[in-house]
Amino acid sequence: MSVKYTPVQWNPNKWVYDAVLLAIVAIYISVFLRLGAAEADVSRPIDGAVLRMRAFGTCAFFMLSAILCIGPLARLDDRFLPILYNRRHFGVLTAIVAWTHATYVYNWYFNFSQINRLEALLSSNTAFGQILGFPIEALGVFAFVILLILAATSHDFWLSFLGAPLWKRLHLLIYLAYGALVAHVALGYLQDTENPTFALLFSAAALGVVGLHVAAWQVGRMRSAKGEWVAVCAPGDIAEGRARIVQLGPKERVAIFRYDGNRFSAISNACAHQNGPLGEGRILDGCVTCPWHGFQYRMADGCAPAPFTEKVPTYDLRLEDGQLMVQRHANPPGTAVDPLAVTGMEATP
Amino acid sequence: MSAKPDDTPFFIGWATPDRRLWPFLIAVAVMAFVAAFSVSYLVAATQDDPGNGGRMGPVQAVGVLQTQPYPVLHVLQSEQLAVGTTVLLMGQGKNGVQGRADPLDGQIVRVNGVRLNRGELNGIILRGGSNGVMVADGEVEGAMPVTEDLGRWRLTGEICDGNCLAGSMRPGTGLAHRACANLCILGGLPPVFVATDSVGGSEFFLVADADGGPMPDEMLDYTALLIEAEGRVERRGGMNVFLIDAASVELAR
Ligand code: FES
Repeated sequence: MSVKYTPVQWNPNKWVYDAVLLAIVAIYISVFLRLGAAEADVSRPIDGAVLRMRAFGTCAFFMLSAILCIGPLARLDDRFLPILYNRRHFGVLTAIVAWTHATYVYNWYFNFSQINRLEALLSSNTAFGQILGFPIEALGVFAFVILLILAATSHDFWLSFLGAPLWKRLHLLIYLAYGALVAHVALGYLQDTENPTFALLFSAAALGVVGLHVAAWQVGRMRSAKGEWVAVCAPGDIAEGRARIVQLGPKERVAIFRYDGNRFSAISNACAHQNGPLGEGRILDGCVTCPWHGFQYRMADGCAPAPFTEKVPTYDLRLEDGQLMVQRHANPPGTAVDPLAVTGMEATP
Repeated sequence: MSAKPDDTPFFIGWATPDRRLWPFLIAVAVMAFVAAFSVSYLVAATQDDPGNGGRMGPVQAVGVLQTQPYPVLHVLQSEQLAVGTTVLLMGQGKNGVQGRADPLDGQIVRVNGVRLNRGELNGIILRGGSNGVMVADGEVEGAMPVTEDLGRWRLTGEICDGNCLAGSMRPGTGLAHRACANLCILGGLPPVFVATDSVGGSEFFLVADADGGPMPDEMLDYTALLIEAEGRVERRGGMNVFLIDAASVELAR
């Protein structure tokens, strides 16, 4: 194991999180196949394979919609943060559900033919120039491949191997996957349904994802600081070894820590690992320790202690009229900033 | 002048740092369960009716075989099918039966297989080899029905594959099923035009090109879509045939 690679251990919270996720999927699939399908008003039963592809397909769509809502929800309301934590497991489970859907499609629609299934998948519909009639399978495969790549690289090994900025950019592909998935459904199953119920639920989910992102952005902007220097609080309002978190931009927060009695330093609130809330961490061994998976950063320069190489941005601090003020613009990750020592407060050795 | 640290326990790897959050998180989980239950139920219970097509059990019939544009049987004698019915003949899976039918064109044959039915539309999935279709030696008398010209029509409707449409798959139509339909048609199964209006009492039309041959591959771009198409309609026995002018086809929406 390389020194850079710190595996995140299993812990009881993750078991509960995953158990809840599995229960959600189990409820969805069994209700669909056992209860709901029996109530459908049909002259002769729908094929079992089609029922299963619909159950798993719609389940994966709603799961991905939910995943994309967690981020903005957590920005709107801190109480959602624990759901953000471990969201990767949610993503991997979604990829598995999508895989099941794809398997049913592949072994049903593309089976029973002289042409081999893969060739059939690639050749049976090539109307890429049309909107209606577009090969929706290609859209589905595209979204699925992204889900697979993200699931495969979700492990911490890849995070440290690729580096956090690249890893996060790679994982933004989830939005592209969601777009392809929306088109996959909108140009396929949605066109076939006369009953409007699915169309309503589908649009509600997709609009919910967009709406929450817009809302989180707006609220973040409203809460954002104005001016070059932003007032934090009086130094004494921060408990020893703890931080005060201040919103600077729509997606930018700073954590101002107090330590050694009268010293103050400011670093980004977002952990380089998984955006964990550093400001809710504690100071252990002289480093800010992320509450989520324990990554550590030195107060003075935002760097993880050797041999680790993660860095977070630092911020300048000053005292003005008895108030701590933080500079609105971050220093590049890893920039050393002398801690602010407040005279008249008791220093602890 | 110092604020007191709150005494929430801190350990690395928390998901719920503060016990006061638990009720909130439990409420979120319960809401997720309720949402999964109700969304799933609503989506499943409001699925559309795939129609009354289906497999109707074994069938035997004697009749006149016509192979263009796709093999059909004009029934002369059968326990399961009315005399005068014209049925599509199809192979197992996504395979047509031209190879077996061509040498027998115009002859009186006996067929064996599984009957497909959807309203006016009838099909038989033939058993394998010569058990599926064989010459019927002098058992029954009959002749090829005369072709009746019903004139030129511009019709709105959807091209489906006759196999899935008639009930091999339920649902066997629509855009989600489009690639499957194309594979069936590429495999030699008969394309059927389902019109929004009926001509001569049937909304189903076997599709042919303008010269009466099989549907050209370019038309695969129009399957499963609501289209308008123009061409001559013929009545052959109990079946409408739509000889589509490829150039006249356009999307109807
Ligand atoms: S988010 Fe994982 S250690 Fe900070």
